[in-house]
Amino acid sequence: MKIRSVIACFLLCLPLLSCIQSEAPNAEADILTCSVSGNVLKAEPEIENESITLIVRSDADITKLSPEFTLTPGATISPASGTTFDFTTPHTYVVTSEDRNWNKTYVVRCIVSGISTDYHFETITLEPKNERFQIFYDLSSSGDAVNWGSANAGYALTGVPKSPTDYPTSQFADGYVGKCAKLVTCSTGSLGSLVGMYIAAGNLFIGTFDASSALTNALKATRFGRPFEHVPTYLSGYYKYKPGEEFTSKGKLVPGKEDQCDIYAIFYETDENVRYLDGTNALTSPNLISVARISNQQATDEWTHFYIPFVARPGKVVDKEKLKNGGYQLAVVFSSSIRGDYFEGAVGSTLYIDEVEVIHSENE
Amino acid sequence: MKKHISAICVLMLLFAATVNAQVERNEGIIWSSLRGLEYEVKAGFNIGGTAPVPLPREIRSIDGYKPTLCLSVEGNVIKWFGVEKKWGMILGLRVENKGMETKATVKNYSMEIIGTGGEKLKGNWTGGVQTKVRNTYFSIPVLASYKLNNRMSFSAGPYVSFLTNGDFSGYVYDGYLREINPTGTKVEFKDDNRASYDFSDNLRTFQCGVQVGTKWRAFKHLDVCADLTWGLSDIFQKDFDTVTFAMYPIYLNVGFGYAF
Repeated sequence: MKIRSVIACFLLCLPLLSCIQSEAPNAEADILTCSVSGNVLKAEPEIENESITLIVRSDADITKLSPEFTLTPGATISPASGTTFDFTTPHTYVVTSEDRNWNKTYVVRCIVSGISTDYHFETITLEPKNERFQIFYDLSSSGDAVNWGSANAGYALTGVPKSPTDYPTSQFADGYVGKCAKLVTCSTGSLGSLVGMYIAAGNLFIGTFDASSALTNALKATRFGRPFEHVPTYLSGYYKYKPGEEFTSKGKLVPGKEDQCDIYAIFYETDENVRYLDGTNALTSPNLISVARISNQQATDEWTHFYIPFVARPGKVVDKEKLKNGGYQLAVVFSSSIRGDYFEGAVGSTLYIDEVEVIHSENE
Repeated sequence: MKKHISAICVLMLLFAATVNAQVERNEGIIWSSLRGLEYEVKAGFNIGGTAPVPLPREIRSIDGYKPTLCLSVEGNVIKWFGVEKKWGMILGLRVENKGMETKATVKNYSMEIIGTGGEKLKGNWTGGVQTKVRNTYFSIPVLASYKLNNRMSFSAGPYVSFLTNGDFSGYVYDGYLREINPTGTKVEFKDDNRASYDFSDNLRTFQCGVQVGTKWRAFKHLDVCADLTWGLSDIFQKDFDTVTFAMYPIYLNVGFGYAF
């Protein structure tokens, strides 16, 4: 009896001692969604952690755009959502968290003309704010910067890299012409193996990387493609490749197996359900129109030319009107380990890429 | 089931003590008794938690709690003073486990995971945190004792503990990390996706606290005891700041004692 009452007393006291305090206001300052009224956008706005890219139709008037945003509950934005600006140059918005302790600067910009079709890998910028890794970008014909996607933001989480050149994707001085892109398969260290992601292949692609799903579903994190107004016919360029020493599959050594690189481009149709393709369906989706993929890739110390035809999927026709309105997308993808997205490959595998061109019906 | 096992253990210990007691008090005990000295062995279990006090604002809910089986064995020497022997002093030696398992939901909780190669992942976590604590201590209580009547007595005083074996580990689940600070890259953890942590090597070896207790003499030699032990030092080492708040072991020890 005695003990029971003592225990009861104690258990009753505990919650009093350790009350749940009232909830603190939100500390996050995110733009969750972005919309532009009217039939202006060719594709969904690309919302990243510190930037928003609007891919607009070529006939759209971007001197008077009023993008509207939804934010983390309680957060505020300046200038206000819905304010009209001339978006021929990028605009900066500052989002302040509900607790007023944090703010984040977003750069919102438009890409008007089609993406460029020749890529030299001469121009890089550093990750916004923290400046830990490099981001390749090209200038479109109207001078808009268009970023390449890579999984560098995911690799930053491993705590391994100390400088921008420690990342799987970076610029290298010694290209075929000028500088080039260098993709290296890297070990993700103890934190990476903790979540079953033992290696990170160097990758570079037209599209965006969604770091939020990097751990839950790595294949979904790589979002391939941007609107493309031509029908591509060939993918050409130069590469050098050196496979790493020890091939591993999910952290286990596979003796005798040699790593391979991957170079491909996909051209696909978007619809209500398929806004973009990702690592899960880039080469299998029924929305694919044509695919150009390297087949005779090899280890080589010399710059080696590739010239790969886009092979049409059976029964696919391209609708001219839809093409003009941004209904088709193109992605070019490079990886230093062909099975890197399944965490299979050899640490040290290195792919150099330079002077890539997508040849299409109009520049042939 | 666990309760049954602990009850059986306690009974067996008591049985052993009782058998021993059949042997007539030897002269040593009589000698001790004349000088106001008493000896006692105790066995019991600890139920409670290793927790921050008060709960920090980042903790939004406690979703699960398991006390786990934590036993203690203790030997005491009691010196009673004066003719009435109302007041006394207890010096003890206790070997005990203090442990629990909890699941909690946190919001914007600042954390840092350090890999075996020294890699660091720092950020703010919102979501679930599972924690398992199981520490073995070697404790020395020094208590003042007051005898209310022949059956009932109370005790209170400080204790020191030495950690002999520590486990503080767990994992985070169902939520997201903002890398570096609340405006950093958002990384989701879903379904079976977990990141485990283990801070066992960062536990402090020397800890102290206070305890209050009561003892009720049920039979001639048999006591029923309950002691609340309240740790006053953070269970983690001073220079360890991954867990941003101090955590204290707060446990209720319930058991039986045999007084010679």
